[in-house]
Amino acid sequence: MQYRNILPVCLLFVSLTSFVIPLKFYGLSGTKKWVVNQNSSLCVNGSTNINKFSCEILSYDKTDTLTLNESKSDREVALTGRINLSIKSFDCHNSMMTSDLRKTLKEKQFPMLHITFLSLNKLPDLASRPESITGLVNIEIAGVSKRFEVNYQITRDEQKVIHLLGSRDINFSDFNLIPPRKLGGMIKTNDRLSVDFKLNIKTID
Amino acid sequence: MIKPVESYLKKMKKILVSGLIAGCILFILSYGGLFLAIRFYPALFTEYNNPLFNSNGDRDVLFYMHAFIISLALSWFWDRFKGLFKGPLILRGLEFGFVYSIIALLPVMWISFSSLDITVLMVVSWFIYGLGQAIIAGLVFAKINP
Repeated sequence: MQYRNILPVCLLFVSLTSFVIPLKFYGLSGTKKWVVNQNSSLCVNGSTNINKFSCEILSYDKTDTLTLNESKSDREVALTGRINLSIKSFDCHNSMMTSDLRKTLKEKQFPMLHITFLSLNKLPDLASRPESITGLVNIEIAGVSKRFEVNYQITRDEQKVIHLLGSRDINFSDFNLIPPRKLGGMIKTNDRLSVDFKLNIKTID
Repeated sequence: MIKPVESYLKKMKKILVSGLIAGCILFILSYGGLFLAIRFYPALFTEYNNPLFNSNGDRDVLFYMHAFIISLALSWFWDRFKGLFKGPLILRGLEFGFVYSIIALLPVMWISFSSLDITVLMVVSWFIYGLGQAIIAGLVFAKINP
């Protein structure tokens, strides 16, 4: 007889708790602000049929904020915010190559390069051991914006600074840019570029 | 009245034909040489990654026409002054090349180096390239339009 009373109670408990959504899914876990520090950097590596080049922006001269929103789902985390890089800040360690890259990227018409963060594939653990994650970004060069999946390595050091290393291969042609060619095409720049960026981030809850 | 016209047309035809023949030879040797030089000595050409040089390819046809432009100009120059170049074929060709280089190339290279952001190596290589082209053209003219 006692069991007969327990059974409806159990059924009631199960049916009630089955509609409970984890707090994290309900958006109650909150958003975090990631402040991109000034010592962040970006590097573009490319090649021609005669040499290789590496152009860098070694010191990011602004402080931008990214917003990490954990509410979406475990599978995808919204990361919003944009970093704006001045094309003039590129240094190819050779004044002529630097000027050539600026000309190719149409610096006079479009002086800024924009990276807009969209999402991460998962919530990073933020440990000292590097963690590989992916995310979506929009890269805008010379007025053309294109969405890419970027591979990240993310770590957090003892000073609680997050190091986000992103890498992605892009093509000049993705942005309707023509790779430079000299001497009637005898010296040709390859279409493919490898973009690596390193963001040093501080978290604000 | 007709004879001078005929003679003038004959002369012009000679200039044109020898210019075109020299142009074809220079085209093969100049661009073939440039292609091989870029392939085997790429370090010499890294300075060409410079906004000073056209990079979008819209003037490639003009670049490759250079061999014919210089050949036709030198062909006229040869026909006008060939009497001044005496001696065997090789000597005439060499002297012609040096005369062209001193009169035309040297001042152009001088003003280019003084006004453009280019290296000494570039200017010297252009001078040698132009001198080589003029000597080859001179040898061709000495052979077919002596």
